[in-house]
Amino acid sequence: METAEFLGYPRPTGAPGIRNHVLVVPSSRLVNIAAARIADHVPGTKAVVTTGENGRHSRDRERLARLFTGLGRNPNVHAVIVLGVKPGYGYRELDPDTLAAAVAGTGKPVDVLTVEAAGGLERTVEAGIDLARQRVREASRVRREPVPVGELSVGVKCGLSDATSGISGNPAFGRAADRLVGRGGTVIFSETVEIIGAEEELSRRCTDPRDAERLLRMAREAEAAARATGEDIRTINPLPSNIAAGLSTLEEKSLGAVEKAGSSPIAGVLEYATAPTRRGLHFMDGWQSSFSLPMSLAAAGCQLTVYQLGGEDLPSSDPPMLATNTGVVAPLMMITGNPRTAAKAARSVDFSSGGVITGGCTVQEAGDALFGYLAEVASGELTRGETVRWADVLEPYFLGPVF
Amino acid sequence: MPEALRLHPGDNVAVAVAELPAGATVRVGPPPGEPGFEVVTAEPVPFGHKIALADLAPGDEVTKYGAVIGRATAAVRRGEVVGVHNIEGLRGRGDLAAGGS
Repeated sequence: METAEFLGYPRPTGAPGIRNHVLVVPSSRLVNIAAARIADHVPGTKAVVTTGENGRHSRDRERLARLFTGLGRNPNVHAVIVLGVKPGYGYRELDPDTLAAAVAGTGKPVDVLTVEAAGGLERTVEAGIDLARQRVREASRVRREPVPVGELSVGVKCGLSDATSGISGNPAFGRAADRLVGRGGTVIFSETVEIIGAEEELSRRCTDPRDAERLLRMAREAEAAARATGEDIRTINPLPSNIAAGLSTLEEKSLGAVEKAGSSPIAGVLEYATAPTRRGLHFMDGWQSSFSLPMSLAAAGCQLTVYQLGGEDLPSSDPPMLATNTGVVAPLMMITGNPRTAAKAARSVDFSSGGVITGGCTVQEAGDALFGYLAEVASGELTRGETVRWADVLEPYFLGPVF
Repeated sequence: MPEALRLHPGDNVAVAVAELPAGATVRVGPPPGEPGFEVVTAEPVPFGHKIALADLAPGDEVTKYGAVIGRATAAVRRGEVVGVHNIEGLRGRGDLAAGGS
């Protein structure tokens, strides 16, 4: 049956959510502890706790601010509580009222609580808990309703790539991506270092020549940064696990990686942690880290993030995953095209296109099945990651250096 | 079902999709319904690793996905494993005086 709809939470403006969180944002690392304690105490809340802002130059502080506001604006978030220290404290880019205003434009409830105004850290935690408990009850009054599948924005990364990544795993996602984009949806792929070797081909798919030039610039800068280390990129990327699994060069890895972008034209090329202004397939500048990219894609508006796992080099029984729940407000779905990974990681893998390798199905069939499954998860089916009470440490993609 | 896949007609490597022993006559696909061919493995090939479909001299380009993925750094015989021991990538090479592309 053709997938045309999913059940989503309506929001005051913009796309519907596939989850229904209250988000606590510490505008300064000083109040990470308060954010964490509120989120620990109140089910239905998420805190975004990162390494913080101090000692970073303005471009990196802007990137952190875009992460915070992007996560707050994500359709999966019903309400936001921004925590601050005192008026005028800290860097201008991360002023809590500035962050709050950037989120409030969506029409969703946004509050600012500062330690100074609350009368201390404990009082801030108490006030935050009281407010969060109220907001999650409000959120529970919002009901899912049928919405067009084109309202979905799905972010994708491929990880621990092996030879199947470019043969079955990424191509199946690419097919699902084509189906979603064909229905008016949005797909965002990233991992700038891993388009090196495939960037010319990708740039030709950009509908706007300025986007093509921007994409080529991003790849050039990533390659220049690699050369500037004076190191052989091969000692960094491909990873030892990629090499053990049969991938030998960065360009080989990249050519397999870009299969996840399917065949749609590229409607936009985005700076890091920036939401698209139109629908369709987009490339976003970003770092491949599993602790970084899912959150970054969620900040770019993705309601759902997908991790396409090779996994050949992982342990042979019940291997740990590369990341758990690092989309913060967006679920992180684990998929693979490696039938051996699907078998050994049955606890963790949500979807397999391994049938392409064993001859059980075609890439098109796997991709069509994945497209349907994306809509099921959007409608509320939990990923395996969502059934564990753990989220890995978050890594914003900072340029550095630090001072 | 083929035990190795050549992803693009012009490629000079195929990818093993099974653990292959040395001296095995391996069917190389494209998918059923299209002409395939056979290669004999010169050594064991782990799942996912590349098999040379032609003899390569040092400096020869290695092709996969219809594109260049690197160049041979040693002589390679048809049926041998192609990997980091006999192929190098050319992109992002901070160690090379005259960089990659």
